[in-house]
Amino acid sequence: MLRVGRGRISVERLVRAVRDPKAGAVVVFLGTTRMRNEGRRVVRLEYEAFAGMAERELAALAVQARRRWRLSRVAMVHRTGVVPVGQVSVGVAVSSGHRAEAFAAGRWLIDRLKKTVPIWKREHFRGGRVWIGATPAGGARVAARRKAARRR
Amino acid sequence: MVRLRFFAALRERMGAARTETLSPGTTVGALWRALVAERPELAHFQVRFAVNEEYVSASHRLRDDDEVAFFPPVSGG
Repeated sequence: MLRVGRGRISVERLVRAVRDPKAGAVVVFLGTTRMRNEGRRVVRLEYEAFAGMAERELAALAVQARRRWRLSRVAMVHRTGVVPVGQVSVGVAVSSGHRAEAFAAGRWLIDRLKKTVPIWKREHFRGGRVWIGATPAGGARVAARRKAARRR
Repeated sequence: MVRLRFFAALRERMGAARTETLSPGTTVGALWRALVAERPELAHFQVRFAVNEEYVSASHRLRDDDEVAFFPPVSGG
């Protein structure tokens, strides 16, 4: 299961996707929407994806992980659209014969996903919204908007 | 003719998609510089390029019917 799309992520389905009788370990990572980010009170996150390319990139990462570690199965899901605070935006599950490989591969997969998969996060916070990582000046712009929000 | 697509903060400034007729051998980087010349505020953006859903460098040469995507650094997760 390598999927990018709308709707809640089912942890049960994610785990079921990597179940394998040959595996002795299943590691699951869930990324959830944090209430505070860089001092801002986050109301919700919104994700936009280049869906076709994003799924191809997920598949490429799964292939690379399998070259690096002996794995049974790999599953990755990323939610798009609005994700309210506290909900799951991304899930990675890996099964392997023993736990060391599953932990290592799971960590590597989420780190790579955040660097290469074409998905963008827009943070809606009290007093404004901002695309995360959009421009080097992004931080300054958020600060200006927060200041403006306080004045209101 | 190539199809241009924009995502996230770039999409908000450029619209989701458009088409352009290019002279043969135009690189992705040259196309981006032409867009920046047209809209100077784009110069503030760090940008990555993909052609037909694969990452490419600025020196990649475009062919007829290619789909070029321009996007800011990714921030999924």
